[in-house]
Amino acid sequence: MTNDFIKYFLIFLICILTQALIFNHIVLFHVAIPVVFIYFILRLPISLKLTWVFTLAFFTGLIMDIFSDTPGVNALACTIIAALREPIYYAYVPKDDVTCRLIPSISNIGIINYGKFLLTFIAIYCLLAFTIEYFSFADVKGIVILTSASTLFTFIILFAVDSLIPSKI
Amino acid sequence: MRNLLNFFIKHGAWFLFFLYVILSLLVLFTYNAYHASVYLSSANVVTSKIYEASSEVTGYFGLKEINKSLQANNARLENEVLNLRHHLAEYQTLNSDSASPFFQRFDYVSATVINNNVRHPKNYFSINRGSKDGIESGQGVVDHNGVVGIVNVVGPHTARVISLLNEDQRFSVKIKNSEFIGSLNWKGGDPTIAYMEEVPRHAKFNPGDTIVTSGYSLAFPSDIPVGTVMNRIKGADDNFFVLKIQLTSDFKSLSTVRVIKDNFKQSLDSLSKFDKVDEKR
Repeated sequence: MTNDFIKYFLIFLICILTQALIFNHIVLFHVAIPVVFIYFILRLPISLKLTWVFTLAFFTGLIMDIFSDTPGVNALACTIIAALREPIYYAYVPKDDVTCRLIPSISNIGIINYGKFLLTFIAIYCLLAFTIEYFSFADVKGIVILTSASTLFTFIILFAVDSLIPSKI
Repeated sequence: MRNLLNFFIKHGAWFLFFLYVILSLLVLFTYNAYHASVYLSSANVVTSKIYEASSEVTGYFGLKEINKSLQANNARLENEVLNLRHHLAEYQTLNSDSASPFFQRFDYVSATVINNNVRHPKNYFSINRGSKDGIESGQGVVDHNGVVGIVNVVGPHTARVISLLNEDQRFSVKIKNSEFIGSLNWKGGDPTIAYMEEVPRHAKFNPGDTIVTSGYSLAFPSDIPVGTVMNRIKGADDNFFVLKIQLTSDFKSLSTVRVIKDNFKQSLDSLSKFDKVDEKR
């Protein structure tokens, strides 16, 4: 239990700091923005109580907002994606006694299912975050381009990270 | 009663969900750009410490480029100083009997950028100077190339600045050596391009002309460079046109900036109090 707590705390710290200090400053071709800190929300165990998932997601988003001066944008998007996490997971993984106790990862649910889960999760998050942030722009084409480019970029980064870290973690 | 209680316990998580959604919406909509709290911005103690530590390292990147442009700027200024000295000497010989005291209107506080963003529609950056150094909300910020922003939220040792790359912020500018005023606004996307709007139709300009601050706002003295004219594009209104501006400052590599303190601000503010009294009448 304590071990898990420390592990998740470390993932949280790494996600927030790499996003704030490195990925927040990268924009590829003016459109692709990496949003890697949601990896923390994505990696929470499926069995974790929803109350906890919502709370952790909301505060992750709020802290990210404070770092990047986008008040409320990530907090709202994170809370909504936290609610959608389980439905997305079960869209690709059969719901049974085994799968409901897992942590979404390549070794647990297979590379194809994990890839689909990751891509859907990131795409919905990017769509939410950019729609909220660029709302006043009312530029649908711009939001679609931003979302697709950023989804692809983030997916490549997170998938690479997932393939590199040992499956035990 | 028990049923109601059970209902709340069973769906407690979803009540929490709605609470968080409402909270984020509150933050999203009530967070006015000018009356923002320090705690919810990158000027707070924790974030600014982290950003300061990281800028200690990243501050070394791009030094070569900055050096080059500083040298060029230095050469230009030296030239200007020589010129001015020459003019001053001439002037002094002409007015040798009237010894009027010269009062300097603007002071500069130099600061280091500790965190900078160009990817949002509303960008901000943080500097390592705050209220203890005399920084106040509303002061203009320039770097060696020209205008970069306006101070927004001030903490004791740090401040957050509204970048020129913020679609909500407008700057009063003019075409250099003319009196044609317009308002400069960034529209997202490319961090090197902004637009000068509300330029009167009869204004004369050529591509490559310099755009400078007008001096009509309290934040900036006049004639600080902002950018150069690229071309004219059609505006929404037929009476005015819009100029596409290439910005002079490189917002991706902001490092050392200067905050402008207006020594006349207090007296000018006390004058504008009379405006409000007039309006009430």
